[in-house]
Amino acid sequence: MSLSEQHNMKMDNQHALAPHAPAGASPEVFQQLGLITRQLHDTLSQLGVMPRLQEAANGLPDARSRLTYIAQKTGDAANKVLNLVDLAKAEHQSISAQTRAMAAAIVADPVKAVATGGVMNFVHDVEAATSRIDGHLTDIMMAQDFHDLTGQVVAKVVSLANELEDSLVKLLVQAAPADQTAKLMAHIAPVAHSVATSELSGPVVAPEGRTDVVANQGEVDDLLASLGF
Amino acid sequence: MSHPTDLKFLIVDDFSTMRRIVRGLLKEIGYNNAEEAEDGSVALRMLQNAKFDFVVSDINMPVMNGFELLSAVKADENLKHLPVLMVTAEARKEDIVRAAQDGAAGYIVKPFTKATLEEKVQKIMQKLAATA
Repeated sequence: MSLSEQHNMKMDNQHALAPHAPAGASPEVFQQLGLITRQLHDTLSQLGVMPRLQEAANGLPDARSRLTYIAQKTGDAANKVLNLVDLAKAEHQSISAQTRAMAAAIVADPVKAVATGGVMNFVHDVEAATSRIDGHLTDIMMAQDFHDLTGQVVAKVVSLANELEDSLVKLLVQAAPADQTAKLMAHIAPVAHSVATSELSGPVVAPEGRTDVVANQGEVDDLLASLGF
Repeated sequence: MSHPTDLKFLIVDDFSTMRRIVRGLLKEIGYNNAEEAEDGSVALRMLQNAKFDFVVSDINMPVMNGFELLSAVKADENLKHLPVLMVTAEARKEDIVRAAQDGAAGYIVKPFTKATLEEKVQKIMQKLAATA
């Protein structure tokens, strides 16, 4: 339901509420309040504040969805990095232990260490372990992509917050008594919005049920292939 | 597989983290020669002032976005031969189609893997070699 519809419903409800009013409140008071509220509503509508405020308010669920996406991405990245560090440290500890054992074997009997294939096995094991560690480090590097993806989403949320603030400031100025307007303007004038809006949509935070976006690289490749690229 | 490691890449992204990631991956794939630009405008100036062989570009950037950079590259007689691989979070089908129609050599959607980047770069390189 839009803000305007909610407002109209509230206006209608005033008539229903009137009969249940406390004995001390006269119907004239309710009628007067209703008139003032209607005047405020009409004035705001004429000033064009309400549609923008409504637009900003409608964006709040989207902002919540985007903030959830940020929490999810940062949480996933942190867990991924910690898990990979655990794996890399285990590999590292294994190499250290094998190195100490190999050093002891060479000190005890160098010929035997080579002849039994222990040295070559150790070399192969170290090579394989370092390769796995390198893979973990690459994955840790890739996990940092959350900065780019969440950064774009944060920019969208900041833009929405700016819109909401802008609408509320206009509402405040229009609703203020005449003698307070100049003082208010002096306080709110320094507010500047530096985040540029973009026609591009950024990361898809909720792909479920959407047919206008792709969910993964495979769908990108299929789409391009269908176009002959 | 051997790589022509002397090829020079230009990585264009407004997030330094992503530029470092792409640069690191290209290095792992075997391409050590890469420079970076933070938006399309800076990238275009760099392309006009030095020789590059391959462009890897984001789309959603301030000042000049990836689509504008792609159009500018393809409109420039001296640059239009350059392959431009889009690496972006923009997942709308209309954006993918637009990139292809505007002359992008490939399209990777973020988040991506090292294998995806390697596959796309190799595919573009093979296509270039076949048409050369």
